[in-house]
Amino acid sequence: MTLRWKYSRYFLIVIVAALFAAPILGTNPLSKPGLQQTLAVAFVFGALALTYDLLFGFTGLLSFGHALFFASGLYLTCIFINHSVFVWWIAIIASILLTSLLAFLVGAASLRTTGITFAMVTLAFGEAGHVIVNRNFFGLTGGENGIALNAELIPQIWVGVVNTKYLYWSALICLILTYLIIWWVTESSAGRVFAALRDNEMRVQVLGLNTRNFKLLSFVIAGALAGLLGSIMLLLAGSAAPRFAESNITIALLLMVILGGAVTRWGAVVGGIAYSFLTTRMQDLTQNGLFAGLPKYVSGPLSEPAFLLGIVFILVVMFAPGGLSGAYYKLRLRSISKKYSSSK
Amino acid sequence: MSTFLLMTITGIGLGALYFLVASGLTLIYGLMGVLNFAHGAFLSIGAFVGLWFATSIMKEATIPNFILAMIVGGLAAGFFALLMEQLLITRLYDRHIDQVLVTVGVALVVGAVLGGWFGNDLRLFPTPLWFLTGINFFGAIIPADRIIYIATAVALLIGNWALLRFTRIGLIIRAGVENRNMVNALGINVRRAFSTVFFLGGFAAGIGGVLVSVYSSGVSPLIAGTYLIYGFVVVVIGGMGSVTGSFVAAMLIGVIKQFANYYVTGLGDFVIALLLAGVLLVRPQGLFGKRIS
Amino acid sequence: MNALELADVSVRINQAQILHGVSFTAPKNQVTALLGRNGVGKSSTLKAIMSLYSPTGSIKLNGTELIGTPTHAIAASGVAYVPEDREIFATLSVKENLSLASRSKISSEKMSRVFEIFPDLSTRQEQRAGTLSGGQQQMLSLSRALLNDNQILLVDEPTKGLAPKLVTEVADALAEVAKRETMILVEQNLALVKRIAQKIVVMDQGKIIFEGAPEKLSDSVWVQSVLGVSNRGKHS
Repeated sequence: MTLRWKYSRYFLIVIVAALFAAPILGTNPLSKPGLQQTLAVAFVFGALALTYDLLFGFTGLLSFGHALFFASGLYLTCIFINHSVFVWWIAIIASILLTSLLAFLVGAASLRTTGITFAMVTLAFGEAGHVIVNRNFFGLTGGENGIALNAELIPQIWVGVVNTKYLYWSALICLILTYLIIWWVTESSAGRVFAALRDNEMRVQVLGLNTRNFKLLSFVIAGALAGLLGSIMLLLAGSAAPRFAESNITIALLLMVILGGAVTRWGAVVGGIAYSFLTTRMQDLTQNGLFAGLPKYVSGPLSEPAFLLGIVFILVVMFAPGGLSGAYYKLRLRSISKKYSSSK
Repeated sequence: MSTFLLMTITGIGLGALYFLVASGLTLIYGLMGVLNFAHGAFLSIGAFVGLWFATSIMKEATIPNFILAMIVGGLAAGFFALLMEQLLITRLYDRHIDQVLVTVGVALVVGAVLGGWFGNDLRLFPTPLWFLTGINFFGAIIPADRIIYIATAVALLIGNWALLRFTRIGLIIRAGVENRNMVNALGINVRRAFSTVFFLGGFAAGIGGVLVSVYSSGVSPLIAGTYLIYGFVVVVIGGMGSVTGSFVAAMLIGVIKQFANYYVTGLGDFVIALLLAGVLLVRPQGLFGKRIS
Repeated sequence: MNALELADVSVRINQAQILHGVSFTAPKNQVTALLGRNGVGKSSTLKAIMSLYSPTGSIKLNGTELIGTPTHAIAASGVAYVPEDREIFATLSVKENLSLASRSKISSEKMSRVFEIFPDLSTRQEQRAGTLSGGQQQMLSLSRALLNDNQILLVDEPTKGLAPKLVTEVADALAEVAKRETMILVEQNLALVKRIAQKIVVMDQGKIIFEGAPEKLSDSVWVQSVLGVSNRGKHS
């Protein structure tokens, strides 16, 4: 008897099928482009959170610079397409390869340190990336406003509000693809080493394995996938903007992973989707005057998503460090052991 | 020549600001192993409380009033830091990653509260007129505010040194940064030193917040983020746990950034990132840090 | 009358069982030597007493239970710990190291007590402890314990890695201290043990395998089998 609910695989397939079918299944909320767009973005962040989970939850590397690779994929793809350097699909592949190289270089330097120092260093590198795109270096990155993607140079199936469902499906497929890749990586023998590294690095060293190379491998895989997701984000957003390179993004990923549960894969995905969806919703509601009636000193902070988020985050870290999935498994454990003790 | 002098001194002035942020960070990390993401929040709190004090209580922007506002801002930030340490950090003793995460949460909440109450636009900090004058120094015209930053940083450095050198708590902190467990094994409750270090770190950051507001032409919750990151860079390059290291690294970084920006706008940040990478490759423990075993 | 009583003490670190139900007693005003090959858990036992590890079982110091008490409280109640790697504070001066270790305010009277036993240190008071030689660092480490009135001293391999002349100096100091304090001494140097210990406790693989009189150490066959060393040729 495992902790996993025996119908969980079927449950998952049903949900995914429903998500796929919904846009063309009569009139349900998901047949409208608005919600499709919101969910598509949420899927991308769910996948991005999963890549961060590979780094942090599985390999134990607390990186504060993950947004760098997301932005790298985003900007490189945009630049390649806009300047007709490559055709769109080669542009995506090229940006993934270049992002992987970037991840390799940054990882090689940063992994000279561990733990908290590593966190600080990745933060600095992430910020360097933010500065580069913000200041319009070489005239390529468009400065504060970013660069708009030239919509004529990509397949028209992704252009226009009426085609939002194609973007939605593409994002969903990307999420599934990312999930499968990460599932494969974590279940592989390399993945086992990652998990061992998180728990006890010295033991892994004693086994004669070069811990730094494994950490670097995890770092590069996570970075490469983030780059891929950056390309998808480009299609969804229609432009590359500096805010995707901010450390706020990485911190958001950290929140998603912690809230969802750092050790499980589905926890990170759920955390990512929920976070993205809720913050977008909150912003919409606030703009539509949700807190209008309250006094300024209450409504002010409440209308900033970071406020509630920060409080929830603090509470989760202090009292429920396993996040959503951790709590779920704890309850499962309790119900299973109850079943056992009552059957005696 | 005078340009060189100007660049160097303004660079040192900038470095002084970085030092105010980094000094607290490096002690907190060195002694407690906590990466304090909320340090930027201390900066903001110091700036806003200082601003409130300067605009509501003191009507005239004289130098003594400014210094008073600075100290008030510092104290507010210091007490907030202490509160955070007592309520949150102590409960997560030895759960280092969770301590970091909690400070991230605090940073978010403080940023949101300040942004919600005051908005993110810049609010001018009442500045004594003298700060805006230029001092002639061997042909270079130095903006007077830079002198204030440098003077404050030096005062902090000396105060820090005196505390560490001549008081018992300073002795405990120095020993604790080196070997926390052994201090406990000698019968001293090291955790009491934690509170002191957090308070002092907050105090320095709060003062830094007021000065940064002058430098950045205004108070805003958004400013703290950049300084926090630079604080981290200074701490890593200078060496964790070493206040001297932070001072040297901060000056170095301030001057390099100033010169780089002079030749190409915006190059400064990029060069600092390269410097960080370089230091890590050659000497991962930083200039004055302990050897990482 | 026992100063220290360990009952069924076990320590587990990261899924490795370091101590398995260790039980022994250390009589008051005597030196109890803790012996055994490298890695059997002698240092870990001392660390468990200091709560530097989290043990299960019972550790009673003159009747008071130590398990569950934080390290600093244990030390403050009169347990002096002299660790295996000396662990003096390299960035602090000799005087500062002593000042830190003194439970009551440091006085010249206390310092002279220490300098009587280790005259080498008196000329180096302002010297940074990190620049001291190995032997001097060991003396400093021991001195920290001598500054206060203790209920018990826990001393871990004080002569390790020291030149023969220094071994004698340290041994003399320990013999002097042993006259008035209770001590648990972890040592590989059997000559020193024979000189000052009134009781020996032998460990192997995290367990106690012998508890009794030090006269057993004269039995070379027994010593060879249990400790894997000969008992000749060591200085005291």
